[in-house]
Amino acid sequence: MRKKVVSMFSVILVLLVALTGCGTTSSSSGTAKNEILYWNPFVGPDGENMKQIVNEYNKTNPKYKIKNVSYKDSDMYKKIPTVVNSGKGIPDLTIVHAERIKQFVDNDLLTPYDNLLANYPEIKSENYVPAGWNIGDINGSRYSVPLDVHSFVMYYNKDLLEKYAPNALDDNVITFDEIRAAGEKSKKDNITGVGITWTRPIFLSIYNQLGGDITSDGETPTLNTPEAKEALQLLKGLVDDKIANKDGEDPAQLFKSGKAIFYPEGIWMQNSLNEAKNLNWGLTIFPQISPDKIVNWTSSHQFVMFNDKNRSEEKTKGIMDFIDYVRENSLPWAQAGQNPAALAILESPEYKKLPQAFLIEDPELQKTLKIFDYKYNGFAAEEIDKLVGDAIYGKLDIDKGLKTAQKAVEDKIATNNKK
Amino acid sequence: MINAGGKKYRKKRLNFSPYLYIGPHLILFTIFFLIPTLYGIYISFTNWDLIGNPEFVGFSNYTEILFNKDSTFYEQLRVGLGNTFKFVLFTVPACIIVPLLLAAGLNTKPRGFKFFQVLFYMPTLFSVSAVMIIFSMLFSVSFGPINHYLNVETNWLATQPYAWITLVVVTVWWTIGANLIIYLAALNGVSKDIYEAASIDGANSIQKFFRITLPSIRAQILYTLVITTIAQFNVYGQPLMLTKGGPASSTSVLLMYIQENAFGSGNSIAGIGSAMAVILGLCIMVVSAIQFIFLRQRD
Repeated sequence: MRKKVVSMFSVILVLLVALTGCGTTSSSSGTAKNEILYWNPFVGPDGENMKQIVNEYNKTNPKYKIKNVSYKDSDMYKKIPTVVNSGKGIPDLTIVHAERIKQFVDNDLLTPYDNLLANYPEIKSENYVPAGWNIGDINGSRYSVPLDVHSFVMYYNKDLLEKYAPNALDDNVITFDEIRAAGEKSKKDNITGVGITWTRPIFLSIYNQLGGDITSDGETPTLNTPEAKEALQLLKGLVDDKIANKDGEDPAQLFKSGKAIFYPEGIWMQNSLNEAKNLNWGLTIFPQISPDKIVNWTSSHQFVMFNDKNRSEEKTKGIMDFIDYVRENSLPWAQAGQNPAALAILESPEYKKLPQAFLIEDPELQKTLKIFDYKYNGFAAEEIDKLVGDAIYGKLDIDKGLKTAQKAVEDKIATNNKK
Repeated sequence: MINAGGKKYRKKRLNFSPYLYIGPHLILFTIFFLIPTLYGIYISFTNWDLIGNPEFVGFSNYTEILFNKDSTFYEQLRVGLGNTFKFVLFTVPACIIVPLLLAAGLNTKPRGFKFFQVLFYMPTLFSVSAVMIIFSMLFSVSFGPINHYLNVETNWLATQPYAWITLVVVTVWWTIGANLIIYLAALNGVSKDIYEAASIDGANSIQKFFRITLPSIRAQILYTLVITTIAQFNVYGQPLMLTKGGPASSTSVLLMYIQENAFGSGNSIAGIGSAMAVILGLCIMVVSAIQFIFLRQRD
């Protein structure tokens, strides 16, 4: 009997140790005194470049060292409400996507930078790309500082362009009419005109060129509009006339193997294109309907501070030091294929050699970077993702699809506001 | 108990050992299953965005998804649950029959049966994402070996009925191992004497399979049937990664909508998501109960 009791207690003890062990290790991370817990959603190759920035910063021996923690973005966004609610393990500094900021501000989760900026005079509007900077200003307060502005533009195959559309780039704008004309010619040689990749930015860019936007007043969604219909019809036309790739065909593979002339994609995709040997590619702005209104879909990674009562002033100063450091030292970030939002980068000759630099170098092009800034962007994005592919490949009636998408966003907003 | 019972009860030895055996499981069950389940049910009666405090709203989430025909969430439940049931109907029979036939074959101990046993079991060990990435490459329209060898240009993942066929094939391939192991163990326990006696009586192998093999392992078949049904009701990874719920939401299963509502890219609508999850849980319970009653009655 005694033996049994002893063995039972030992088992329970082991179990308790195991269970509590997990608990303590996870909650104590990042609470070290001279450390800034820095969460970011960079897990791919760009994560390596961010690590490089952090390591170089830590080598300068700052009072507060940065502890870099990378998550897959969906995991990070799931964790944020939990830690902010519990008050334990709140990251001191976090990178979030620009489209999420309004939501966080709305829920009163972010600490504004207003009182801190006086001591950091260089962190100001003039030193950043407007699209990235402006989005952090909500109701007169600053809630975020941009790291980058990453845009959805277009790659083209230089050899195929020479063959099928030699004059298309003369005015630096490739229009959909020019794509269509080139595609008609290349079709006979079994070369696809344009590869349709990520449908959301493609649709949104065209929608905005036509004068549409996902919201009319910042509250109401506007998806079911004539402009949206026109944008979908334009894309469907390219599919129907076999200018674009067939449904299910991999546009990236087509482009990499030299079987597509045009390939709209993000500036961050160039590393993957460099892997393809013998591919002679160039980078230009997103295709336009007319050169009069140019739109390049853009998003931005932004530095925010989630509310934390226990964050000391000293530590906050440490955070600001790091942000200011990144402002001047973001070349590794540009080398990951992104465009840093801090204009200090323009002084770097290495940056100017990068293919995506043209978007920032030209102040006129800076103005074409459009971030779809809407409090309910998440809801809209979910529905647009369901809508566009099916609509342009003929699996969903465009009118019906737009109506459903509009209704779905409205319902989600209504349910979300029912409190 | 000892105090209240006095002498009479004190004699009865307090035996801890059964609790010792079930203890670890009980603790894990409570932490990772019971508490989350109860919490989930509570959330389904609230409006919650995961950030503020959950506010109690009674049955309003349920009336919204069950009765408000104009609501997006009603449509999501209808489509999601419908597709989930379809998936269960399409996959469960295959997930029972295919491993059973393979097990019966392996049980005759053909040459190299150990090799095949390992071969069939292996896929079960792979993660869902690894399996789905492999299959999306196999079924790729322009570069996939399947289209190449069949010499067709079928868009397997984005047109019906191919999307369903793909999902079923992938799921059966991926899950064969788990049931196969159970059947193999069960078949090992069937006495050889019965088969010998049947042979002497002149029974052929088909008769032996239906008259001896199947009845002998009925308990295990019932077990795998219930477990497989529950597992397939919880389908998520396959349609998410292979077909992305398409074409036109025809393979969007309920868990995808639950995930989107609770942890989507917009504000969380956890109350609606939880209510959908409770409905899914009830469906699983009812279907499992029916299977039990139906198959037990014949004992």
